[in-house]
Amino acid sequence: MKLHREYLRDGKAVPVSAEHVEGDRWRVRVGPATHEFRAQLLGDGGVRLAPVGEEFDRSFVAYGAPAGKDYMVRVNGRTHTLAAPVSQRGSGAAAADGTIRAPMTGTVLDVLCAPGDTVAADQTLVVLSAMKMEHKLAAGVAGVVQAVAAKKGVIVDQGAALVVVERAPAVG
Amino acid sequence: MVPGQMAKNPPFRRVLIANRGEIALRVVRGLRELGIESVAVHSDVDARCAHVLHADHAVPLGGNTATESYLDVQKVLAAAKASDAEAIHPGYGFLSENAGFARAVRDAGLVFVGPNPEAMDRLGGKKTAREEAIAAGVPVIPGIEHDDGDASLVAAAQQLGLPVMVKASAGGGGRGMRLVEREQDLADAIAAGRREAKAAFGDDRMIVERLVLPARHVEIQLIGDRHGHVVSLHERECSVQRRNQKVLEESPSAVVDEALRQRMGDCAVALAKRVGYDNAGTAEFLLDDQGRFYFLEVNARLQVEHPVTELVTGVDLVHLQIHVAAGGKLADALAGVDLRPRGHAIEARICAESPEAGYMPAAGQLRLVKEPEGPGIRVDSGVYTGWEVPQYYDSLLAKLIVWAPDRATACARLSQALRETAYLGIPTNVDFLRRIVDDTAFRCSRLRTDMLKLRPELAEGPKEPPEDLALAAAVLCQAVAPRGGAAAPAGGGAALGQDPSLVWQELAGFRLFEGKR
Repeated sequence: MKLHREYLRDGKAVPVSAEHVEGDRWRVRVGPATHEFRAQLLGDGGVRLAPVGEEFDRSFVAYGAPAGKDYMVRVNGRTHTLAAPVSQRGSGAAAADGTIRAPMTGTVLDVLCAPGDTVAADQTLVVLSAMKMEHKLAAGVAGVVQAVAAKKGVIVDQGAALVVVERAPAVG
Repeated sequence: MVPGQMAKNPPFRRVLIANRGEIALRVVRGLRELGIESVAVHSDVDARCAHVLHADHAVPLGGNTATESYLDVQKVLAAAKASDAEAIHPGYGFLSENAGFARAVRDAGLVFVGPNPEAMDRLGGKKTAREEAIAAGVPVIPGIEHDDGDASLVAAAQQLGLPVMVKASAGGGGRGMRLVEREQDLADAIAAGRREAKAAFGDDRMIVERLVLPARHVEIQLIGDRHGHVVSLHERECSVQRRNQKVLEESPSAVVDEALRQRMGDCAVALAKRVGYDNAGTAEFLLDDQGRFYFLEVNARLQVEHPVTELVTGVDLVHLQIHVAAGGKLADALAGVDLRPRGHAIEARICAESPEAGYMPAAGQLRLVKEPEGPGIRVDSGVYTGWEVPQYYDSLLAKLIVWAPDRATACARLSQALRETAYLGIPTNVDFLRRIVDDTAFRCSRLRTDMLKLRPELAEGPKEPPEDLALAAAVLCQAVAPRGGAAAPAGGGAALGQDPSLVWQELAGFRLFEGKR
């Protein structure tokens, strides 16, 4: 039994694997390093990790769960959201490719552009309402609006493309 | 004490709670202790929200936005009628400080568990509240509350000296407020403020106040009855805030001594008595670095941060609210009760937002919820594993409140409790809260209202990439735990970004621990 994953760390893909040894013992490889743990599932969904050997000097209780395409793990008092290298990240209001995506599920309050409009990089093109707050979304690139998928009053999912702006040719 | 006496002879048979999430659930519990049945109301998307699951009865309001559900006065009143409720508890937010709603409840022959609408009116706007405070002898921030046109406001600002705050006369909370630091910006700020105030409150009058900075936010918890009696339950300090949203609250304040506590309490009681205040409420003040305090406003409701007061005074504010709403006397409820604060309590607001990403709020499914336990730990939560946090309401998931004999121990306890807290599936501010609690400034109680603005690194978090331990924990959680590393979600697997069956395929033929330990 072996479980393979790959996660981004500092922008680099790191292969991570867990190989069952015997009983509750697992051999874990993180990139070039090898660690051995005893892992026990707890009643509250947590996993107690006791290192075998000298790499870590005490045991931890970790909690993990998928979060969209990522995997969230909380251990040693910190939460890590680990992304797989291939995952298409829909987050970030202003992707550098000129496509405005909804940073979270919400309701479109206002659409402030139409196809053909020339817009500035920081110009608010869509106003999204979510969790009682307004979010002003800009394309992050200056150019011409190619397409507008957002409609006022409509609920959009996280990552949904709302407006596409084609970057204006660089001047000079 | 109240619960024992009241449970034998509850003043109401059934009370409707016009709210949702953690506060609605907290009121359900308080009512049950008094032997009173609870009626939850809910929007469509909240049909399986924690408060609905725990209440004795539930009435759907329909709709999803606050306006078409929890803010719809007619729907809420109809739900109260349909469920035979005798009183309505509004919680905080939504309709809680709406004098029109309080009147409509009264006109419908029901009891509003909150202050009378006349008192609410007198404290509702910045201008009227300021005038009542002045009349009650309560210190207010130097400024003017009479708006005789733009020129008079500019002249007032010049006389006060910049920077100043320009606020909507009719405003409350943080709405319609502007900081003006340069004289040439005054005209624009007043014009923009007027437009905003006109749109939000239908009243474009403004007031001008001097900026008090550095300042600490200190507030007094009050409870009044219908017999003219008002009691101060002492201060809470809520200086750790962002854009007027409180992040951490505590009681007592490290900088309030017995004499100051007495003076602030006396001021708050005098103001409440003047307007005939007759339920739970909070008088908010700014405290400057010279120990002078200035009245800000009264929050005419139970506050989010009420548990810290409950932990240091031993009273149950929801029980008291019910007692006084039913016409009971505070003197009876509090007879023989020592109200002096004991020990130290701190509350942390756990929100579905990511301080590391500009405080971006988040909606979505909580795949794993693990709330802390232990001595001196209280969790007022409105969520559970599998609950899908809706996008329509505010981002508060739960409140973690700790009590300890002294502040240093309370800080250590809160840090440890946050360490064993996990809300996974969507971003939360748990790590952020722990960074603040572990910060030297917080531990030393060097607090000011703008500290999060001055210390952006507290929101940004550490820059180091995840250590090997984190990556190892991620694969081991997936290898050992059922269904992809989280307890089975109650809400079904269809919404998962990652197909949990993939993990099952990889685990095929493997049995956990093979019958050994």
